[in-house]
Amino acid sequence: MNANAAVLPTKEGFEPAVIQWLKEALNRNVFEAVLIPVETPAEDSFAYLLIKDPKFLDLASPLPPIMPVQGGKAIGRLTMRGDLNKRVAAIIRPCEARAAIELTKLKQAHLTNLTLITLDCPGVLPLSDYLDDPAAGAARFREAVEQDNRSPMRPTCQICHRFSLAEAPATDLHIGTLGNDDGAAVIVPGSLEGERILAQMGLTEDGDESGNLPEMLERWSTRAEQLTATQTERRSEAHAQLQEQVAGADRLLDIFGSCINCHNCQRVCPVCYCRQCYFESTALKLPPENYLARAASKGALRFAPDTLLFHLGRASHMALSCVSCGACEDACPMDIPVGQVFSLLADGAQEALGYVAGRSVEDALPLVAYEMDELHDVEQAYVEIYREQEVQDA
Amino acid sequence: MSEEKTFVPSIVYFMCSWCGSGGAETAAAHHLHYPENVLPSRVNCTGALPAVHILRPLIEGADGVVISGCHPGDCHYDDGNFRARRRIALVKSLLDTLGLEPERVWFRYVAHGEGRRFVDTAAAFNEHIKTLGPNPLKTRSDT
Amino acid sequence: MPEAATSSAFATQGLRTNQGAEETVRQLLRSLLQSGQVEAVLALGKTGTDGKGVAYSLFTDPDAFAVDGEAVPLLPYMPANGGGLLSRLTLEGSLPGPVAAVIRPCELQAFIELMKLNQGSLDNVFLISSTCGGVYPLETGLEGHLEEKLPAYWRSIEQGELDEAARPTCRACESFAPEGADITIALLGEEGLDEQCSLYLNTERAAAFAQRLEGTILDAEPDGTVLERSSVERSAFREALFAGVETGLKGLVETFGRCIGCHGCKTVCPICYCQVCHFDSHECEREIAYYEGELQRKGGLRVPPDTVFFQLGRMAHMAISCVGCGMCTDVCPADIPVSTIFSKVAASAQATFDYVPGRALAEEIPLRTFREDEFAQVAT
Repeated sequence: MNANAAVLPTKEGFEPAVIQWLKEALNRNVFEAVLIPVETPAEDSFAYLLIKDPKFLDLASPLPPIMPVQGGKAIGRLTMRGDLNKRVAAIIRPCEARAAIELTKLKQAHLTNLTLITLDCPGVLPLSDYLDDPAAGAARFREAVEQDNRSPMRPTCQICHRFSLAEAPATDLHIGTLGNDDGAAVIVPGSLEGERILAQMGLTEDGDESGNLPEMLERWSTRAEQLTATQTERRSEAHAQLQEQVAGADRLLDIFGSCINCHNCQRVCPVCYCRQCYFESTALKLPPENYLARAASKGALRFAPDTLLFHLGRASHMALSCVSCGACEDACPMDIPVGQVFSLLADGAQEALGYVAGRSVEDALPLVAYEMDELHDVEQAYVEIYREQEVQDA
Repeated sequence: MSEEKTFVPSIVYFMCSWCGSGGAETAAAHHLHYPENVLPSRVNCTGALPAVHILRPLIEGADGVVISGCHPGDCHYDDGNFRARRRIALVKSLLDTLGLEPERVWFRYVAHGEGRRFVDTAAAFNEHIKTLGPNPLKTRSDT
Repeated sequence: MPEAATSSAFATQGLRTNQGAEETVRQLLRSLLQSGQVEAVLALGKTGTDGKGVAYSLFTDPDAFAVDGEAVPLLPYMPANGGGLLSRLTLEGSLPGPVAAVIRPCELQAFIELMKLNQGSLDNVFLISSTCGGVYPLETGLEGHLEEKLPAYWRSIEQGELDEAARPTCRACESFAPEGADITIALLGEEGLDEQCSLYLNTERAAAFAQRLEGTILDAEPDGTVLERSSVERSAFREALFAGVETGLKGLVETFGRCIGCHGCKTVCPICYCQVCHFDSHECEREIAYYEGELQRKGGLRVPPDTVFFQLGRMAHMAISCVGCGMCTDVCPADIPVSTIFSKVAASAQATFDYVPGRALAEEIPLRTFREDEFAQVAT
């Protein structure tokens, strides 16, 4: 996979280098358009822009400090109605690519003519932290990135272990920024399309003038592996701790005690694609007799009802496709650690069914596929019990 | 001396319209009984039973949910029971992670002619839930 | 100049109890449940074993309204607009028996608006409201800061003033005396609220329900001076608040630039009742040709598109009925002052038709009716 990798020519750090590279790509018609985060007019946020005119790239950032809209969702909205007709490059983080891949399997996005370009991701700041003071937020982010420090980032980012290519999906191109100093970066193709693009851009091994490529690749993959190992351990510890904090009806209902049923979490989730969520449909809108009977049986009924059902039900619908991006937690107005809880649920569910969300378009969705011979521990054995009874009766 | 109120579990028994219900009918034909507090609920196929329909009873007052359908390979719709098995594995995983006692959900195949197996399941599950005690969620009004 | 908010809010039959406001309300609701006069009460309650969360609940157990019960009916907090909840409760049918609801004037107004829109039923709904001194933003309830604020809150209320930390739309509210409630609790500007409470019984049912409460009969309306003064103060604040809104295309694009398209504002809005919002429907899903066309035309476009379109569209659909409750601002993850902007637009839209949402059931929503001879200046 690292064959045909290339050095990204950087002089002032990788961000300007990526922008320059994209401008060239547009000018050379390697891409018709680029989908990339761009700073908003008030300079207080970022939004994905589909750009044809290279001048818009002057305001773009391949790795902004925040993720107001999950890139997978943006890709889904762009391509839900069909294939793109001309080649578009999307510059996104690994979790956004994973979400796009899940959406494709769910038939809510189409990846034809879409080149996915990912980068090593240091995480993003929680949106509300950034909005308090965007300039300070940007500075805090840059500092944290330089120090490989994830503590100011979203809780889900703090324990993310799929932030680089090895554990992330093999996207068309991946920009490896880890391991090498002074903003130097490698570009690694993950597909034939990626290799072709590198060739079109004149970036090939043979074209590497510095001769540094092998060492750079080595430093990059070593560092990425190191950090992945650290993060995997961190994730495991955090999840163990979190499980203790949420386990059982009491603790769980304390966590969701302040939920106001705004459904922001579901709305911003890249893999929650239903036009009308089941939990907002008429299925749960019942005659008053139903609500009064439930209120009478329990002494009270939280109203609007079905708060816990919404969360558990949403988990049952999307946990197998959850990419642990944490967009949900950013959007929650009540500071509920919903991203962390869902991430925990997702890891458990995906492990139970031997699946990793967004790893590959080839991996069948776990509720669509099945094996004849699997999951026997879910089945309630009968013969043994009956035999016991027979022996007892005899 | 105070009278202890015996715990009578509220149980929902989902059965598919083919083997599951068939098992129940065979049981009836043989005059076999199962506990009255086990509430039968028919679905077309266990594969068509949404995850939400397992979660909702557990939140609204049921102490346990048991699901029965055709044996592997015998599903009237070919593979509904395989999908059900995966879906129930998913639900159990969620309940397990959240400490909500996945043991309150059973999945057992019952064939059309297995009347005995059907009533044994209902009875055994009833006893099993009695051991577990009332579902902690059933008294919570803030769900 | 807004109509004085006080005149029709009170019946002439009143009752002054010698218990504080909270205790009076608890006693009333407890007795209504115990006696079976109501089947349930919709009121705020604490959630969780730690009691840190607050949510509306449909209470049937009278003990919820005991002193140590989980109901907190007068808590200055609004996790959801109660008017929207009453609509949800009665959407699929009328209540089979009386249910009391303790809600604020804007929630009551939202419910009345929703009745005009056929989104529920007023039958058997027993409305208890109060002269309102506002609620705190949702984030105040996080980390348990709400409890700390309560003593100062009630002192301000007694003086007819609003805490500066209340929702901005509360401080700018001109409809803070409820119209159409069965019982109006006099709170704003009432002294000694921890020792006495005046209830105004506006309907026969209210009088019947309040029979078990002990107190002295009040046969005059309250002195409206404090309410007048609050009205003037709030109108001034409202003007200043609205003046601060950035308008023009530049203003809109800059303000809504950081909108993430979650549509939370729409979800929590009591007036936005559509099962599937137009802006979530397939009609607003763009074909590839649209994106490619815009790319050609403008050289670039935002994905997902239609950020400002959603906001303007929602205004066009609901501003005429906006009650300025402020749920939208509280829910916004991008800290956009949605309610301020929408209230400003609503004020203008409503003034165009000389309409006040939720004031009276008989008053038709302006877009559902017309006169032949009006708005000649609009048509050419």
